Amino acid sequence: MSKIIEIRNVTKEFKVLNRREGLKGSLKDLFSRDYKIVKAVNDISMDIEQGEIVGYLGPNGAGKSTTIKMMTGVLEPTAGEILVNGNAPYKNRSRNAQEIGVVFGQRSQLWWALPLVESFKLLKDIYQIDDKQYNSMLDLYRSLVDIEPLLHKPVRQMSLGQRTLSDILAAFLHDPKIVFLDEPTIGLDVSMKAKIRTLIHALNKEKNTTVILTTHDMGDVDALCRRIVIIDKGRMLYDNDIEHLKGFFGSYRTLKIRIDGDMKEKAEKIHSELPQFSVDSDDEWISVLVDEDKEKVIDVLAGLQKKHDIRDMQLEEISTEEVIKKIYEEGVE
Amino acid sequence: MRLKKYLTLTRAGMIEALQFRLGTVVIVIGNLLYLTVVYFLWKAIYASSGTDVVNGMTFSDTLIYLVLATALFNFMEMYAVWEMGRSIQSGKIVLDLLKPMDYRRLLFWSYSGSFVMNFLTTFLPTFIIVGAVTHGAIPLRLNLLYFAVSVIMAVMINYSIDFFVGTICLFTESIWGINIMKQVVVLLLSGATIPIAFFPEPLKTVVMYMPFQSIYNAPLTLLLDGSPDIEDVLMILGTQLFWCITTTVISKLFWKVSLRQITVNGG
Repeated sequence: MSKIIEIRNVTKEFKVLNRREGLKGSLKDLFSRDYKIVKAVNDISMDIEQGEIVGYLGPNGAGKSTTIKMMTGVLEPTAGEILVNGNAPYKNRSRNAQEIGVVFGQRSQLWWALPLVESFKLLKDIYQIDDKQYNSMLDLYRSLVDIEPLLHKPVRQMSLGQRTLSDILAAFLHDPKIVFLDEPTIGLDVSMKAKIRTLIHALNKEKNTTVILTTHDMGDVDALCRRIVIIDKGRMLYDNDIEHLKGFFGSYRTLKIRIDGDMKEKAEKIHSELPQFSVDSDDEWISVLVDEDKEKVIDVLAGLQKKHDIRDMQLEEISTEEVIKKIYEEGVE
Repeated sequence: MRLKKYLTLTRAGMIEALQFRLGTVVIVIGNLLYLTVVYFLWKAIYASSGTDVVNGMTFSDTLIYLVLATALFNFMEMYAVWEMGRSIQSGKIVLDLLKPMDYRRLLFWSYSGSFVMNFLTTFLPTFIIVGAVTHGAIPLRLNLLYFAVSVIMAVMINYSIDFFVGTICLFTESIWGINIMKQVVVLLLSGATIPIAFFPEPLKTVVMYMPFQSIYNAPLTLLLDGSPDIEDVLMILGTQLFWCITTTVISKLFWKVSLRQITVNGG
């Protein structure tokens, strides 16, 4: 495995005008030189190997897009170094462009008025893809998704899902080394999401393309990424395997039980019996957050069953989503 | 530079233009209305002047000039400012910047298809109709060749000016006002709305030193003069060439500097 992207202590600062309030303030702003420096990305380092799928996560405004723009060469880092395929992307954007593909979930790079196949032909000429490679790529696409009905449909008549799918195919067309997917499943229905995940997975496997995926959908992460990187407020919070992430918070599981009677009262009683675990209650369920390093869930349940008349129960794994929410809110200790 | 890379954009532009047949019809109707207004306006001007020849042009000279100027406008105007402004506002420009092609060229060649189509659907028919109706008021000699060369340079000057103004949108992030201002300035000073012969003397001198007259006045002058002095022709084409190079260099430099500003400070 070889490193395809190397990021060393990269920082990106923006100069932002300090805006004042009201009409008077806005008029003053016209002549203002009062700038403040905002650090969008603060001292980030990571290496990405050829063929990896990396989930790049963070709350809105964390600096994800800024990092991606730096990797694609649209922005230049204020400090630090980025190497994509051995080159600094902002120094030679055109050459870098040949090696990367991009999908921004909100926008399309396809020619709006033309049938998809015309967009493909355009990209073929712009990226100077030879006929053999182009045809084999189309054959691969045919084997993965049902593209025939899409090929002759003008992009403007496509549904959002079809358009996103087409955009992903277009991004992979010139067989780039890296593809950046920025929220590719945003606004899609469940079955389309699944389709797109399968497609990304297959293309990554088939072509050994490195995929950098930003998303807010933990389903995408669980389905695709083995490694995740989390940033917030420009700082890197986490960079490791997805399995590790869960281990971070101990092996917690939530045991939910339903007991006749006043739930609040019962919950307090259970908490006094099990002081080592946190106990919550709502109208329907009493939830006990069990740390399995201390006691097995099944033993806790057996103990409870002796003293209470349990009518119903549920067991919940702690989800990636909850872990990430916890990281966003509390950070990593 | 491999030409195929660019010609493919021309081809796509042509297909794209063909998708919107109704649009062409609307443009033709709009032009007819505009030309009707022009006809009556200038008829009134000539009637009130009391002579047949005003500023060295007869009524039919003026009308032929303006009809062809309108046709030329339809095929040269590419709304590049509009397009750039929109893709800057929406952020789509990032996708265009990530193509392995210089943005200035990408945009120009994307428009080239509609040049070809508009030339065939609006300019050529207008030219033929005017020629037929006026029974040979448009000379068909070497002037057609001069005209062709001149139009190509006019397109390039027009694009460079558009691209320059579009680049300003990177900083202002607003399009409307800038675009309207550019359009008014260019159409007036280029002689597209009023023939430059009608301008007062001092203004005429100033305009002749500006790049705009090279866009409409120059090609139309060359087209309508059947037996020009070769010196005049060379003078006009030379001036155009000068502006062609100057505006191209300036717009390229401005774009490069601006883009650098954007990649450093973000947009």
